[in-house]
Amino acid sequence: MTPVYLQRGALHCALGDDLATASRALREGQRAPGREFVLHDVQEPRTYLNVPANEESLDARLNRLLGETLGADRGRLDDCLLIVASTALDIVELETLAAERGGFVPNDSTSLDRLAGQLRERWGFAEAYTLNTACTSAANGLLYGARQLAAGPLARVLVLAFETPSAVAMQGFGALNLLSPSGRYRPFHPERDGLVLGETYCAALLGLEPGSAPLARLLGGFSACDTTSLTTTREDGSHIDWVMRKALASAGRDAGDIALIKLHGTATHANDHAETNGMLSLYPERMPALCVLKPWLGHTLGACGLSETLLLMHALQQGPLPGLDYATEASLPLSGQPLQLADDALVLANFFGFGGNNASLVLQGCGGEQ
Amino acid sequence: MTVIAASEIHGLATTGDKDLKAALSRYLSNPPRRIDRLIFQALLGGALIKADIRSDCGLYLASHHPARPTMIALLEAVCVQRKQPKPFEFVNSVSNAAGFHVAQQLGLEGPNLFIGAGAKVWSQLSNLARLDLQDGVVSQALLLVVDERGDFCVRGVLLEGRDVPAGDSFEALTAGVEVQRLELVATF
Repeated sequence: MTPVYLQRGALHCALGDDLATASRALREGQRAPGREFVLHDVQEPRTYLNVPANEESLDARLNRLLGETLGADRGRLDDCLLIVASTALDIVELETLAAERGGFVPNDSTSLDRLAGQLRERWGFAEAYTLNTACTSAANGLLYGARQLAAGPLARVLVLAFETPSAVAMQGFGALNLLSPSGRYRPFHPERDGLVLGETYCAALLGLEPGSAPLARLLGGFSACDTTSLTTTREDGSHIDWVMRKALASAGRDAGDIALIKLHGTATHANDHAETNGMLSLYPERMPALCVLKPWLGHTLGACGLSETLLLMHALQQGPLPGLDYATEASLPLSGQPLQLADDALVLANFFGFGGNNASLVLQGCGGEQ
Repeated sequence: MTVIAASEIHGLATTGDKDLKAALSRYLSNPPRRIDRLIFQALLGGALIKADIRSDCGLYLASHHPARPTMIALLEAVCVQRKQPKPFEFVNSVSNAAGFHVAQQLGLEGPNLFIGAGAKVWSQLSNLARLDLQDGVVSQALLLVVDERGDFCVRGVLLEGRDVPAGDSFEALTAGVEVQRLELVATF
């Protein structure tokens, strides 16, 4: 695959309202305070990680995010493809409508293409589409956006990813018994008890040139569908192992070249078990450094492919990643000590989702190019 | 690159899930259970041309809307009745659930993408498929578009080879190709 730069990025998440603030909070080991909500029927509390003081409409938030990402020198966007990667889209608006009207009728349903179309018209993007592959949406947005960029003719691709605090998502994951009752988000901990959902809005501008302050280079990646189950991947990790190997091959790299693996790590029993087995298949003897990011961001669902990538690559440029406070108890050798990588270190990032979608990206730091 | 098969299914807004299920059972020996309208429709689009599909195939699926009955059930349960949704309804609401079932039923092992269908849906799906075909990720690509803005229409195109033809519509892509057609009527 032709390498593509993440030239610029913006992130609004539970750790902060901009990428630098969130990155600093991560490096200082700060966790976001969670908000409690109650599961219907069972009336049990669960935790959600909101962005700080969100008083903006979705429209205003996305406009601000695009402005931050593109910058004042963006010029005309008729050379830029917009990919909207989200599972939520306008669901909060529809939830409000249903609650106010006491019901929902077919004509209330909005097109899956609506937001992308509105943003294309408002900002003048050459083209726009919505990509939704559950929790791999943004990872696929990066992967296919980068490859579309390399194939031409468009000169830029903007991947926009977000997940809003949707009641359907909160209650739905609750109904599947996948939300953590303790609110302690601990992927790969032997007593992990599920995931904590998180809100995020993020965007990245992709280009074939580095730009003035690139965040990372995307060297390769792979995405495929494991048809074993709609909600879980193969327990033996064989599909995850295969996807990681194909991602490495697409980047022309070997498993031994990787300095750090960002695990998907949802803290559900099934995901962490399968990912552990996949890791043991790819690295039967010695694994590279490992990290998880969902304890800081929450599980940002379709946006996690971008929110986690931006947070990780920015944080690595600024200094060491913090050690994980439960590393000695984890089922994989996560780092308990601060982790400092070379400026151009290679990172493998895993993202898995419902619908059998498994994706891995191969990224390279750009610390030395600033 | 060649278009080697195509499908087109028309049905009414009043064509019920039972009709879709009955139609699907003519093509698939063991169709999945507890699936919603969008999944039925996407499955039909692929099932009509399954004889030509190999496992080394990516799926590029688009729909204008989510399955509306599923959305209504979820929103009324969660936001009106303040109940938890039924797990199978919540899982079916994942947009790529339809793609998963198509891949599982047809034995597809390649990428599985879902996009919101807009005015340029066919060129967008073709562009995504072109990337995977030209890079040798897969040797076939199945494009499916589900449109239920009134009565419904499902269209499928199976591509093979590395040079994806230009075509920004189903008609342009399938010019000169025999299209497998199915007309569904409603039972009341």
